Amino acid sequence: MTLKTMVRKEKENKISYVEKDSAIIDGIDVSGHWNKMYQPREISNFDVGPLEELRALAGAESIGNCYQCAQCIGVCPVDNVGDYGPRKIYRKLQMGISLFDSADLWQCTTCMNCLRVCPKEVNMIEIMPAAREKAILDGKEVPAELQEMFQNCAEYGNPMGESPRKRARWAKKADVEVKDLSKNPESVDVLWFVGDYYAYHGRGNDAANAMARVLTRLGVNFGTLGAEERCDGDSQRLAGEKGLFEMLAEHNIEKFNSLEFNKMVVSGPHAYNAIKNEYPKMGGSYDVDHYTQFLSSMMDKLKPLMTREFKKKVTFHDPCYLGRHNGEYEAPRTLLNAIPGIEFTEMFRNKEQGYCCGGGGGGMWLDGFMADNINERLSENRVKEAISVGAEVLAVCCPYEVSRFEDAVKSTGNEGKLQVLDIIEIIDQCIE
Amino acid sequence: MKPVLVVGGGPAGLEAARGLADLGYATILVEKNDFLGGKPIEEHYSVFTPDQRDAQTAMQDMIDAVTNRDEIDIRLNTTVVAADGDAPNIMVTLKGKVDEEVVEVSSVILATGFKHFDPGKETQMYGYYEFDDVITLVDAEKMLKEKKFVRPSTGEAPKQVCFIQCVGSRDRQIGNQWCSKVCCGIASQEALEIRQLLPDCRVFVFYIDLRAYGFWEDDVYWKAQEKYHVNFIRGIVTEVTKRGDQVVVKGEDTTLGRPMEIPMDVVVLSVGMEPSEGTTAMSKIFNLPLEHHGYIETTGGCLNTVSTPRDGIFVAGAAAGPADLEDSVSMGGAAAMKAASFVRKAEAQPA
Repeated sequence: MTLKTMVRKEKENKISYVEKDSAIIDGIDVSGHWNKMYQPREISNFDVGPLEELRALAGAESIGNCYQCAQCIGVCPVDNVGDYGPRKIYRKLQMGISLFDSADLWQCTTCMNCLRVCPKEVNMIEIMPAAREKAILDGKEVPAELQEMFQNCAEYGNPMGESPRKRARWAKKADVEVKDLSKNPESVDVLWFVGDYYAYHGRGNDAANAMARVLTRLGVNFGTLGAEERCDGDSQRLAGEKGLFEMLAEHNIEKFNSLEFNKMVVSGPHAYNAIKNEYPKMGGSYDVDHYTQFLSSMMDKLKPLMTREFKKKVTFHDPCYLGRHNGEYEAPRTLLNAIPGIEFTEMFRNKEQGYCCGGGGGGMWLDGFMADNINERLSENRVKEAISVGAEVLAVCCPYEVSRFEDAVKSTGNEGKLQVLDIIEIIDQCIE
Repeated sequence: MKPVLVVGGGPAGLEAARGLADLGYATILVEKNDFLGGKPIEEHYSVFTPDQRDAQTAMQDMIDAVTNRDEIDIRLNTTVVAADGDAPNIMVTLKGKVDEEVVEVSSVILATGFKHFDPGKETQMYGYYEFDDVITLVDAEKMLKEKKFVRPSTGEAPKQVCFIQCVGSRDRQIGNQWCSKVCCGIASQEALEIRQLLPDCRVFVFYIDLRAYGFWEDDVYWKAQEKYHVNFIRGIVTEVTKRGDQVVVKGEDTTLGRPMEIPMDVVVLSVGMEPSEGTTAMSKIFNLPLEHHGYIETTGGCLNTVSTPRDGIFVAGAAAGPADLEDSVSMGGAAAMKAASFVRKAEAQPA
């Protein structure tokens, strides 16, 4: 389009633009026409159709409750690094912008910080899965990386697309016995739900090995589902694939129900949330603990084993699905405070106010997509906070987080300054 | 025993008269209209906010409570035109349709209420007198009482309606610096009723701050938003213009930070309260000072809402400042109690 036609079109359509005489963004001078922003400044109508469409969805009704107090924006981890937040979604809906077609649909990590503070109980934890499910069913564009993950889970039972048969491979390299109950069903005290990242990811394998060693030293009679375990499905559910979640959950529940065990222990908060809160709706009710809860309940046995000192400055990242979603803030801290030689420091945003790593609600598989919408990854923001409180070690207890934060340490140029360790790895290091 | 004079037959005056009669005090109830009930009847209120009782039925209950009672002498079509002396011996001249009569009263309760702000006096250009489809809360109320809501220009059902809050209130230029207290709730309630009647009609409320205090917050405002899908947009409308057969509201959507120019089928102006002519007149006749907004002054601040600087003369309801029905009826009761105490003490003293 030539400049002349552009000007003519501007006049015809009454398109105006904003142009700042002086603007420097991230050190780059974008003064004058470089920042020319076309937009019809004037709102010419409110088309509340998209708002009505969304609030008509089962689970999404509460979107209509927003009264623009904006408390959500103050705590939304995405708005912190981008321009996204529940109250803004509401306004866009009133403006006629459908969530189903918007990049906003995939930005929520379901971290629950907004719901924690929302006086009107606008529940993004239910709104987002409902809206995403509808978008998927209607054939809207799903970010490719997320779509690939869904396909992997559907085909292989894990987000990585690894062979299900390789799920138990890590245990073969473990230096203690890990009972594979799918091969040799026997009654155990603890069924350990290992999870995808412990089973398949290199750094997850480290944590899995550590867990096996610690459980063994504690004399716990435990076993796993071996190759029969499937992804817990919770993040898939929250990312809008309810059907996929149900498929995975049904499989796991069938396997769980075929075994005899007293208690289930899970490595990850997402599996914990699924098994504790969602599986019972599908006929699978179990006495389930996150591993930090399980271990913190046996401190009298664990403490005497930890004889080696871990003389480091450590801070801890609360996983959203252990903390805000399930109210567990103390168990990981009980373990960390029992580490001999440790110097434990809290980050500014901790416990209920903890900052999201960006991995929840499907975010784990949206890094590429999110790069177009935010100016830094949530994990990078968090890593900077850990460093700012003087930590040498960022302790985590969610299997998503080791890889996320290790990447963030590198991408923020802090390699060598901050080590990311699963709490179970620290405990393991302290046991001689 | 000389009677107590209650001026004004609206909610505050009715409650004051009923209270005095129940305590056994003779009362003259003066009302300028030929009916009792005050603004809710005069201005055809639909339902009360927030309890949503039918206004007509609810007021009839209050009217019945003062009618055909030996203690209460009801004077319709009557105004007070002069007063002389101090309580408990005040000579009051009552002017009926034809005759004037002088009565001696022991105490006076002024319940002369408010009037709605005349949108012709706004400094903005809302076009109330220019455009048929720009109406007030009062006009809307009248339609809603008939269980209908139409565009005055066509008689047809509107598709898009908005309310503009704070018309004639909170405005230094106009001279009305007060918040009229009830308009946010009333607008929410009317918006809700429009949505009930016309489920396909989009309804917007443009506001500066939404002041739905107390239980009005969830019982009215939240209900309108959550159950009846009324859209509340923060940002007041600056002016209304006409474009084609629609009226266009211009202002800023402040949570988006963008100007707006939205076509509407009907614009409802949420007009606030001003002291009524009767209130202003009574202040002169009874030589009562006005507080700085122009309402009848009370003494004792927030702990005494009904006593005026003159002994034995009390005020109740919106004559003393913007008031909702709860305020008005509560003040009516409080004024009756204080008037009764005053008369009782006066009688106990030797002449």
